Amino acid sequence: MKGEELIERRVSREDFLKLGAAAGAAGLIAGRAGAADAARSHLEKESGRLQVLDWPGYGNDGGQAMFAQYVKKYPQNKPQFTVMTNESDALAKMHAGLKPDLFRPYVGWVKYFATSGLVQPWDPKLITNFKDLNPLMVKAGQYQGKQWGIPADWGFDAILYRTDKVHPKADSWGLLFDERYKGKIAWFDDLGMLVMAGFYLGFKDPYKQTDAQLQRAQKLLISKKHVARTIWSSETSLDNDFAAGDLWIAYAWPNDWVIMKKKGLKVRYMHPKEGPISWVGMFMLGKGTPRPHLAHAYVDAWSSVKSAKWLEDNYGYGEANTKARPASSDLLRALQLTNPRAVAEPNAHFDRDIPRRAVYAKKWEEVKAA
Amino acid sequence: MAGRRRRRLDLTTPGLLGLPLAWLVAFFLVPIGIVGAYSIDVFSIFPGKHPVTLAGWHDFVHSAVYLKLFWKSVRMSLIVSALVVLLAYPLAYYLALSGTKRKYILLLILIAPFLTSYLLRVLAWKVILGSNGVVNSLLYWLGLRSHDNPVSQLLYSRFAVMLVLVYVWLPFVALPIFVSLESLDQRLLEAAADLYASRWQAFRRVTLPLSVPGIIAAFLFVFIPTVGEFVTPSLVGGTSGYMYGNQISDLFGTGFPDWRTGSVLALFLLGVVAALTGVFARFLGMRQTAAR
Repeated sequence: MKGEELIERRVSREDFLKLGAAAGAAGLIAGRAGAADAARSHLEKESGRLQVLDWPGYGNDGGQAMFAQYVKKYPQNKPQFTVMTNESDALAKMHAGLKPDLFRPYVGWVKYFATSGLVQPWDPKLITNFKDLNPLMVKAGQYQGKQWGIPADWGFDAILYRTDKVHPKADSWGLLFDERYKGKIAWFDDLGMLVMAGFYLGFKDPYKQTDAQLQRAQKLLISKKHVARTIWSSETSLDNDFAAGDLWIAYAWPNDWVIMKKKGLKVRYMHPKEGPISWVGMFMLGKGTPRPHLAHAYVDAWSSVKSAKWLEDNYGYGEANTKARPASSDLLRALQLTNPRAVAEPNAHFDRDIPRRAVYAKKWEEVKAA
Repeated sequence: MAGRRRRRLDLTTPGLLGLPLAWLVAFFLVPIGIVGAYSIDVFSIFPGKHPVTLAGWHDFVHSAVYLKLFWKSVRMSLIVSALVVLLAYPLAYYLALSGTKRKYILLLILIAPFLTSYLLRVLAWKVILGSNGVVNSLLYWLGLRSHDNPVSQLLYSRFAVMLVLVYVWLPFVALPIFVSLESLDQRLLEAAADLYASRWQAFRRVTLPLSVPGIIAAFLFVFIPTVGEFVTPSLVGGTSGYMYGNQISDLFGTGFPDWRTGSVLALFLLGVVAALTGVFARFLGMRQTAAR
């Protein structure tokens, strides 16, 4: 009895509230710990090497720093890479039976893959660095309220040119068609050239061109193809040719500008008045993957500040983690990293789904063949 | 006993032919059949039902773009094949008929480039033909060109593609011509000399006609692979050196997978090459019959 009185006395209202708060906190912690335990137990259940379908240069051929934290944590489940040369290649490989745990197409393909039945949405709660990712890019990875793509690398498509050799009449995509520099211009081997031509021709939505508009864009490209010396698909090849003086003007990415500056060339990365095109790589999760938690852990490693900074410093692309900053002030300026909305209108046209992608692809192939 | 021996003898031919035939069926005929099936949508990389259609073939036949590109590639390939044969013939002639004791050493030197990778040999030409390459640097040094005005047609052009293809295929072509010349009956040349034929007449009337099979084989040896070439044009061709093979490769792999059109283009190429080979083979057969 004495004891009970003691307890009653001691447990005043204030004490009760304190206890309640403590119990709540304990519950919360226990809950979190429970979730962590659950994730850990899931991870323990997942076995085998993580199957990653990614671009050249992002696996064990130079991109190890991007997933070093993952390898350290899960040495038994090291990633095994299959190379994708582009999204079309990835699509063909997956339809042919390849079942990667994750792969990385670009933002314009998110809707296509989300509706293809080949992927499943991510659970952002399992990615601790998710909160640091650029919200605009995160949103671009969503479709019908689900997170299908986790943003990773990003950049712009614009024009790189030699200021000592080239004198543009205007800051415009039209420089890629300038007869004065015939034989010194490089185009990019992508159906996005038709989108760019659409912006140049003033179409309202170049991603959804009508047949007549596509015809016009194609006609423009075919009529001006003779001014282009190459249509590049390898960035290394572009950089080599530009540095060697074979090219003066190129459809290029910001890092190409940084590379040329480092080589001592007088170059400018133009912001065309029609607007540059921006893009972001999106990790997507393979449908029915037997290693979903490991895939989340892999993307988490990619999304860390350390990995993001490494990517910016070594590859010259932006990374979706907004806390990462490159060592190069030139790259910082080229990517406009202080502006979190740099990839969006009115600064740039954010790459997006092309509903008639197959038609665009055929038209672009005809441009090359013409 | 005799029956067992006969049975063993009966199995020799199928036994010997079986493996190569199986190989041919599994890795040549079946893949062609699969490509054919893709060309009419019997197979498709996209899931779901696809009605069989000849739309790919219809589009191809009515597309001026693809056929034009095909004839451009055929022209380039014909020029390359002719040039290679013209250059390789004197080389093979010297090796086979000059009587030099070092001919096998020279032959080894001829094929020495094969000790390095194909890709490296092609890429080396970029160093030679570029704006700051060996050729342009020489022109700058001689004062024939200024640094601002290099000969840009050297690289990323049809010329570059054809030049590299000639370089790459020269040793391949020299070999069949060499074999055909070396197997030439020397007594025929001695007879021609006995009949007061000049060296030129002996060459024109004896050596050349007898080496025609080697020349045709060599020509086909170059023509067949180069008409569908895509590695060399993609490395040194630029926009103007783009060939039919590049288009096939791109249809399968870039933009958006269009295996139907890619298959149509591939089968058309195969058909034309097979027809040309058939024509040449028939021509050769006729010549041999006439010679007998």
